[in-house]
Amino acid sequence: MTAAPAAPSRAEILSLLRSLLRVSAKFSDYNIREYTRRRTIDGFRQNRTLSDPSSVANAFADGKSELEIAKRQAVVYSLYAPKVKSIIELYSKSGV
Amino acid sequence: MKGVKISGRPLYLDMQATTPVDPRVIDAMLPYYLSRFGNPHSRTHLYGWESENAVETARAQVASLINASPREIIFTSGATESNNISVKGVMHFYKDKKRHVITTQTEHKCVLDSCRHLQQEGFDVTYLPVQSNGIIDLEKLRAAIRPDTGLVSVMAVNNEIGVIQPIEEIGQICKEFNIPFHTDAAQALGKIPVDVEKMNVSLMSLSGHKIYGPKGIGALYMRRRPRIRVEPQMNGGGQERGIRSGTVPTPLVVGFGAACELAMKEMEYDDTRIRGLQDRLLKGIREKLDGVVVNGCMERRYAGNLNLSFAYVEGESLLMGLKEVAVSSGSACTSASLEPSYVLRALGVEEDMAHTSIRFGIGRFTTEAEIDRAAELTVKQVEKLREMSPLYEMVKEGIDLKSIQWAQH
Ligand SMILES: Cc1ncc(COP(=O)(O)O)c(C=O)c1O
Repeated sequence: MTAAPAAPSRAEILSLLRSLLRVSAKFSDYNIREYTRRRTIDGFRQNRTLSDPSSVANAFADGKSELEIAKRQAVVYSLYAPKVKSIIELYSKSGV
Repeated sequence: MKGVKISGRPLYLDMQATTPVDPRVIDAMLPYYLSRFGNPHSRTHLYGWESENAVETARAQVASLINASPREIIFTSGATESNNISVKGVMHFYKDKKRHVITTQTEHKCVLDSCRHLQQEGFDVTYLPVQSNGIIDLEKLRAAIRPDTGLVSVMAVNNEIGVIQPIEEIGQICKEFNIPFHTDAAQALGKIPVDVEKMNVSLMSLSGHKIYGPKGIGALYMRRRPRIRVEPQMNGGGQERGIRSGTVPTPLVVGFGAACELAMKEMEYDDTRIRGLQDRLLKGIREKLDGVVVNGCMERRYAGNLNLSFAYVEGESLLMGLKEVAVSSGSACTSASLEPSYVLRALGVEEDMAHTSIRFGIGRFTTEAEIDRAAELTVKQVEKLREMSPLYEMVKEGIDLKSIQWAQH
């Protein structure tokens, strides 16, 4: 058995949250971008109630691995982004 | 479509046809398209071993989502293949003693077609009717059972109208009569809790591309205790316990497994959200329009499927006006024909209403803005069509359309 990872500090948690939000904004796909942002915020909000250090550490480790996946996939999505944007983005830009 | 100009990609509300692949699923799959390309059945080198390990991990992920043992999971190309193996494979294997199948009128085409095939071979098939809410009558099922009934096949969640059949109760009845029970859970997996023990199923069909996984992969659950046996359709190298020969596609299987694990983690979150969005859509439409009917039971329903019919409009024109929304309609849904859907017909939906049915499919990645836009466009289009409709004029004046004697041409 490996030792349980140490619980992260508040600053480390906030930094992870900021990194996740930053990378979610990089998704070229409207639906994926919105989802990643929404899921990140809801996930952190839900995990605020965690008090047991090992559950906090686990949630932190999950978040880190989500961040790595999001970083890679934001690149993949941008490589193959369709030229035409989603109709919803066009509306919200023109303010209709 | 020709002659229709839109400036952007339509917003996607057709999650029953297929779902987008989750980026976390793509991330799991990509390594198996790059350096880890080995054949999972190669026994003599690392390439084979690492692929085999990945396949077995995925098998456990799929099994865990339905509370089965990994040894009960056979990978197939999708729910169509699993349904074919279940219906034809079981009946062919037990053909000496069992000559009768019970299914329903609202099954997916691939189950109905497999049954037709059996009929041509001399088997008997009972197609149970459904009630006007889309749910089968358990007493009718009981009454249809014969000593030579070899299989009961009833889908869990209907793809067109989203109603949930009483699978546990059906499983109980099948157990009582000792008849194998197959369920097509393609639209249920990852969306409602699915448990092969609670449901007492012998066989279950699953699909990857309805749960944010890749297309071309699915699974067949086959119970080991008591053991159910089938005649394979594919003969060859004996992969997947001889039930489904052919090289197992590692990247697809890995993606399907990842999608199942995600579904388990996200089911509650997704469900809460999708319920909220369904509510928002229905309210947004009903606030502005009368004569809107939900097809299928409202209580026993998967929230991500909202099938609506609009009175006093013409179906084709309605869809033409909704080009910015990718949805499916009840008419002309599987082919180029203008026949209303057989599912809506089985519910007893009148032809004019069946023609104006639209299925709104909501999923993990749907946003509030998309729902609001879809509601707005639908309302606008229906209002426009009703303005031009003499029928709607008469209804507003209080004339009962059913009382009118139409002149014969
Ligand atoms: C209920 C149901 N069964 C079977 C299928 C076919 O699944 P697949 O595309 O995996 O063969 C679908 C999807 O079209 C479905 O909705």
